[in-house]
Amino acid sequence: MPSPTRHPGAPLSFYSLFPRKLPLPAHPPIPTPHPVSVPFVGNPAHLRLKPGYLSDGSKNSGKGPAHPMNTTDQTPELVTAEAVTRRFPMDHRFVSALDNVNLHVAAGEFLAISGPSGSGKSTLLNLIGCIDKPTAGRILIDGVDTSKLNPKRLTALRRRKIGFVFQTFNLIPVFTAAENVEFPLLVQGFNSHERRQRAAAALESVGLSARADQRPDLLSGGERQRVAVARAIVHRPALVLADEPTANLDTRNATQLIDLMHDLNRRLGLTFIFSTHDARLLEHTDRIVRLCDGQVVADTLTADTLTADTLNAHVPNEGASHGQVLALSL
Amino acid sequence: MAKFLLLAFRNVFRNRRRTIMTLIMVGGGVAGLLLAGGFFAFMTHGLREDTINDGLGHIQIFTADHFNRDEVRVLDSGIDNWRRVSATVQAGDHVRGVAPRIEFYGMISNGVKSSVFMGSAVDPNAEKSLGFTPRLASGRDLDGKPNSDVEALIGSGLAKSMNVKVGDGLTLLAVTTDGALNGVDVQIVGIVKTGYAEMDARYLRIPLASAQRLLQCDRVTNLVVGLDKTENTDQVAAWLTPRLNGLPQQMALRKWVDLATYYKQVRTMFDGIFLFLGLIVFFMVLMASVNTLLMAMFERTREIGTMLAMGTPRIWIVTLFMLEATLTGILGALAGLVAGNLIGMLLNASGLHMPPPPGLTVNIPFRVLHLPGLMIGSSLVVIFSLALASILPAIRASRLQIAEALAHV
Repeated sequence: MPSPTRHPGAPLSFYSLFPRKLPLPAHPPIPTPHPVSVPFVGNPAHLRLKPGYLSDGSKNSGKGPAHPMNTTDQTPELVTAEAVTRRFPMDHRFVSALDNVNLHVAAGEFLAISGPSGSGKSTLLNLIGCIDKPTAGRILIDGVDTSKLNPKRLTALRRRKIGFVFQTFNLIPVFTAAENVEFPLLVQGFNSHERRQRAAAALESVGLSARADQRPDLLSGGERQRVAVARAIVHRPALVLADEPTANLDTRNATQLIDLMHDLNRRLGLTFIFSTHDARLLEHTDRIVRLCDGQVVADTLTADTLTADTLNAHVPNEGASHGQVLALSL
Repeated sequence: MAKFLLLAFRNVFRNRRRTIMTLIMVGGGVAGLLLAGGFFAFMTHGLREDTINDGLGHIQIFTADHFNRDEVRVLDSGIDNWRRVSATVQAGDHVRGVAPRIEFYGMISNGVKSSVFMGSAVDPNAEKSLGFTPRLASGRDLDGKPNSDVEALIGSGLAKSMNVKVGDGLTLLAVTTDGALNGVDVQIVGIVKTGYAEMDARYLRIPLASAQRLLQCDRVTNLVVGLDKTENTDQVAAWLTPRLNGLPQQMALRKWVDLATYYKQVRTMFDGIFLFLGLIVFFMVLMASVNTLLMAMFERTREIGTMLAMGTPRIWIVTLFMLEATLTGILGALAGLVAGNLIGMLLNASGLHMPPPPGLTVNIPFRVLHLPGLMIGSSLVVIFSLALASILPAIRASRLQIAEALAHV
């Protein structure tokens, strides 16, 4: 684990530029994934808590919401979706992309939103990313109710707290890799020296220092997505949202990207939420939220993630309450 | 800001073919304005100097009554002590000389046929010193010797009408200040082409002394002042005005621009044509650029969505598009300046001549003036046009719904 502070004379690394917010435990190497979903039909009593109560039976104060990864009050909740519905007008009627979805994501999670095409994955990510507004319900980011923010404040919130990784990379083609990574810092008003320093460190953290001066058209798909990841994390956001990040990558690049994101998640404590139906990615995730027809049908923790405490504390999200499955990878 | 400017600059060259087409269009507009404006400027500048050097001078001094004069007895309102006035004017800076004149009217006859003339009695030496030389079609100018015979120059149209040539004699008839009819015989020493057909049909030029003898008066109707540069006219006029007010006779001065009616008409016409051309170029660039920039916005929808998603303020997107358009305008203007000046130089070197315009009888050389003001003005027209054209695409880009923009294919 790199030190969060930089020693004089020591080479600059991405991690040294940002003090860690979360004292995350050292993570073991990524295990070869072989999760087997064991569906629990019904709602096992030993895994369920009353809504609003913690695992010790005490009433939830609201500071530590009950959800799979938020087992103690020490892990703050970063994203909360409460009864979120999103409808789109289509041919003189409304189509529900999301229907009464509840989701709680703690800081530091590595969470996948999975589901078939049209299940509402991207819509949910857009809502969490504050680039779309729910028709009903509300989204809280770091305790801030985004529905109460005006566009200017929403923009500022996205700028500071959220990093985006897109399926099609969405790099600015006329910028070099380094300049692309600098862009969020430019928007945040960092001076050029600091921008260059941080961008270089971010590129180093994704293993692309040597390609810093290349424009996107000269990079491979995997390299472009790594640049996109560097861009998403360069300003050290609280949350990184990735929409189908491996969809345009071959297996080798996809695996490398997954490993990279997971590594950043562990080392920097960055919260990753990504939509995917890529089995390769799902195998590496700590938690999988499955959507179908705009509803949460499963909220799964993998074996790595689950501990005895988590099991005791686990409460499925309210959105998964309609005959849904709590699947544990064991 | 530098990085943002760099982004705008690189975006300009993102679609090179389209950018080149835009630059050609913008540059063509600038070059067109430069050539048209440069040619018009040459025409008006040439007309101005011709008008002045053809005898109008930079400033003319009259008595205040001159403008209410009786056209038959013009010297009734003439300048009495014109030599003193002339000496006063001569003392001024930038004054090259002063030429006394009598502008009068009368009849001219060859014994068989008579016609009306518009006479200009001059001091040939003073005229020569100011460079006011008549355009001779044949013969010579008045020699200005005190005891020479009564010499005359007549317009080519009048000569043709009277069926006379150099060396022939004519009789002039005019009304004296006493109201009597007086006559004097003159010998034609030259035939003049003023450049204006109407003028050529009436023009007569005789020495000042001859006219004073004909009109029986020592006065002159006006004093023509020649300056070193036309640009000094206002300065000298300002200097002269109080000095003329101190004279016993009430005097008035007129600057060349007040007297050059034809010049003003031509200038107004050229200004109108140039304004019309400028508007055409402005709207041509505006419309074509709106289309181009909307295409660029459409192509970059997802990129704009990405930038907005990353928290880029919407005003930055507006600024970016306007900056790109302005940069395109600047580059196009530079290309147009280079092209316009090069073409102008080639045309100037070619020695082309234009056929005479209505009212003139001589060919006009085709020249293009390279005027800094025109270059700046033409460039600003297209730059402003492009900046204006970018407003709509820029605002549309900034108002994109991020989620929709990111899903744009």
